[in-house]
Amino acid sequence: MTPQSTAIAKHRFGFGYYPQRYWNWLIGSAFFLGGIGGATFLLSIITRFRPGMILGYLIVVMGKNTAHLLFLGRPERFWRAAMRPDRSWIARGIWATGLFAVSGLICLFPQGWAVPAAILMAAQVVAMISALFIMFYDGFVMNSSPAIAFWHTDMLPLLILMYASLGGTTISLTLRELFGVQDLATPVLSQAEHLLLVGNFLLLAGYMARMSRWTPAARETARLLLRGTYARVFLGLVIVVGLLATLLLSIVQNFADLPELVILIALCELTGDFTLVMVLLKSGLFSPQSAPSWK
Amino acid sequence: MARLGMVIDLRRCIGCNACTLACKQENGTPEDIHFARVVTREVGTYPATKRTFLPVLCNHCEDAPCAEACPSGATWIREDGIVMVDREKCIGCRACAVACPYMNRHFIARGLLENGYSADGLSPFEAVKFAEFEEGTMTKCTLCAHRIDAGLLPACVVTCPTEARIFGDWDDPSGKLQKLVDERGGWALLPECKTKPKVYYLDDQVGCSAQSEVPES
Repeated sequence: MTPQSTAIAKHRFGFGYYPQRYWNWLIGSAFFLGGIGGATFLLSIITRFRPGMILGYLIVVMGKNTAHLLFLGRPERFWRAAMRPDRSWIARGIWATGLFAVSGLICLFPQGWAVPAAILMAAQVVAMISALFIMFYDGFVMNSSPAIAFWHTDMLPLLILMYASLGGTTISLTLRELFGVQDLATPVLSQAEHLLLVGNFLLLAGYMARMSRWTPAARETARLLLRGTYARVFLGLVIVVGLLATLLLSIVQNFADLPELVILIALCELTGDFTLVMVLLKSGLFSPQSAPSWK
Repeated sequence: MARLGMVIDLRRCIGCNACTLACKQENGTPEDIHFARVVTREVGTYPATKRTFLPVLCNHCEDAPCAEACPSGATWIREDGIVMVDREKCIGCRACAVACPYMNRHFIARGLLENGYSADGLSPFEAVKFAEFEEGTMTKCTLCAHRIDAGLLPACVVTCPTEARIFGDWDDPSGKLQKLVDERGGWALLPECKTKPKVYYLDDQVGCSAQSEVPES
């Protein structure tokens, strides 16, 4: 007798890979907003670009936190999520988000307010560190699950950090265009965006290549993304729209300098960024539970 | 200190799902939540086909990834090794469910406790049993801790008509669990996840004992 090939199980009593269905679009939105918000704030505080600081702060504090609260089964107990920072990346993230909310707000105080220089300096340092942490800790939240092989790799936090950096750079450039800011930082950010687009493409290619040779569940997820259920979304929105079209348009923008194009670039990049987080969540598979003799 | 667990003899399992139903009845779980279930697989090509069965439940792992992932401390491990959830502390983030390789964490969604298996509201049985659950929190197999505390065996063990489930203490050197595994070899599910499960399986297949090690004291 030959065993059937392993497919996606239709229900929990069936044999096969089980799709991850616990974390949905709300968690995906929270991860996405945390990444781009933290990066926008960090880049803006470094380049002293106040509109970017305000937007990044709002994206994290209002957007990311709201999505998290809406997702929780018992949102009124959210504070309990901070109880175990010694072992849980979610708890560490809560602490970082809390520190960011306070320190970031101090950084945003109007310049007329007499905040002592030492406090302001300390707040800036804490805000920058916590913003950086918020950019990538979601990668560790996902990577710490041994159950889903596609996430359980050291490459995931790096991928999340790189995509957050790309999103933050794109938003910063868009805001600078909208506010008519053309300082020394703008061409640097533009170059950084190009490098990040190429770097993310290579990293994503490396990630998929590694997963295609890893555990059976990771290989199955890679197959779903490259040739299966999610191929159109992954290849179309994440690769073509999010990376290739964005890179092409941003190169054109260097010569054309059209404000409308900047908006289009931002839309393309953020679409790819958000879609990547969503397909990572949706395509996660639990390994089949089977006896050795079934293999 | 005890380390309670179970050995399941697959040669005896007939896939009747009596354990599934006994667990449902004992714990009164809401619709679509099964602490115990039997994974069924068909092999072969018609007409030479057969079905094979794998009863699964929470493995009450020593290195429980669900407990590691829980940010609120709601998931805790009793002195006898049973992994529990304190529903008062659970925030419903589902990190434990994503972390459990065995898919034995269950989320009680909003509205799930309002209607039972019939559309006419809760039966008297469900009204009593559903009071043990809370919407928006996680729930899981407790190895029938309430029965163990009363000196009884878990419901799935008592009910199994072929006595395929053997309950005991891994720390008891003369106990049934250790003896069975020593004699017949045993393996745990998904050993690559390194969770040190306390549920082991026997099916006398050659080489199976090499799959994983018996939990260490």
